[in-house]
Amino acid sequence: MKTKIATSLVIVTCVVSIGIWRAFAADTLHEGIYDVGTQKPTDSVLKVKKGDTAPDFTLRAVSGGKVSLKDYLGKKNIVISFVPAAWTPVCSDQWPGYNIAKDEFERNNAILIGISVDNIPTQYAWTKSMGALWFPVLSDFWPHGKVADTYGVLRSDGTADRSIFIVDKKGKIRYIDVHDINQRPPLEDIINELTKLQP
Amino acid sequence: MNIRRIFTLGVLFCILPFLGAGSSDVPEKDFSVALAQVKLTIPSDPQVRKYLGLKQDSGQFSLSQVDADILIIEIFSMYCPHCQRHAPMANKLDQEIRNRKVLKNRVKHIGIGIGNSAYEVNIFRQKYSIPYPLFEDPGGRVLNSMSGIRTPHYFALHKGSGTAIDVFFSRQGPFDDAKVFLETILKKSGIKV
Repeated sequence: MKTKIATSLVIVTCVVSIGIWRAFAADTLHEGIYDVGTQKPTDSVLKVKKGDTAPDFTLRAVSGGKVSLKDYLGKKNIVISFVPAAWTPVCSDQWPGYNIAKDEFERNNAILIGISVDNIPTQYAWTKSMGALWFPVLSDFWPHGKVADTYGVLRSDGTADRSIFIVDKKGKIRYIDVHDINQRPPLEDIINELTKLQP
Repeated sequence: MNIRRIFTLGVLFCILPFLGAGSSDVPEKDFSVALAQVKLTIPSDPQVRKYLGLKQDSGQFSLSQVDADILIIEIFSMYCPHCQRHAPMANKLDQEIRNRKVLKNRVKHIGIGIGNSAYEVNIFRQKYSIPYPLFEDPGGRVLNSMSGIRTPHYFALHKGSGTAIDVFFSRQGPFDDAKVFLETILKKSGIKV
């Protein structure tokens, strides 16, 4: 009887251990990322242009509460980063880079706002895998992609085009880059544009 | 079989998967050709050129030009959270190499930020106070030549004849003990140190 109990205990422990190991290995080696393959570079039509007043929005933040564009007006330059979807290859390697460049944003008196069309639980799990992010990540999930659509970067499949909008302290759009969805926008392009906004 | 024996065997079986957790051995030959074709920008810092044993002060160099018995290469990306988390351990590896006088000028260590610009590599260098030479990958040439590679990835290589190199060690994923990691490379190199 004791032998049976010990054998069962060992089997259960092994199953749990292997499960934990698989989860660890997946995190370490990016196994959790879904490969979407090469996509049409852009699939939307802009509804705003440089010089326009940036449309205001209020969205739920993954860290809790709500964030509006107007919260930062008059205080900070604002970089809005739309990414297509959580758990996809390029997106998962974009914000972590911005995360270690906090000093570069702050030097240019700028805040970064990350937006995707995913719901909060998905964003929570995804951004947690990136480490502690210093900038707000907002959910444009419902009404689905409304903010992306307002800016003209909602793709026909319901994801957002990979795009950067820089809004100055007065609320004017000063830079737009609707980037090839398959590639990451160079960080220095964003920082160079922010530098131009400095007095 | 008594209970104690079943339990001991069970525990051994359970910890076995963790011994290699996070690592993956990749055939070295697959990378020797790709790495032999890699061209990096010659550093402007004379101290770095001296460390690498480079005689030119501008242009590009091949990995075979680095004056070392063993060259350890870390393939990373400043955008990769795993590389960010691993950076302090990579620094420990560098310190471990520099602490052993017998390895001076024989074992050298560099990093290549695949798909990263010089600007992006510099942010990574500053953020984690990286003491060893880091190189950019303009246009993603290294990235494209190593299709499917995941970061961080470590290689160790010897010089071959001419511009050829011999990759004798390859590991995908971070390591958790710099001393053990270095010993593994030294042992596999076949070089007496």
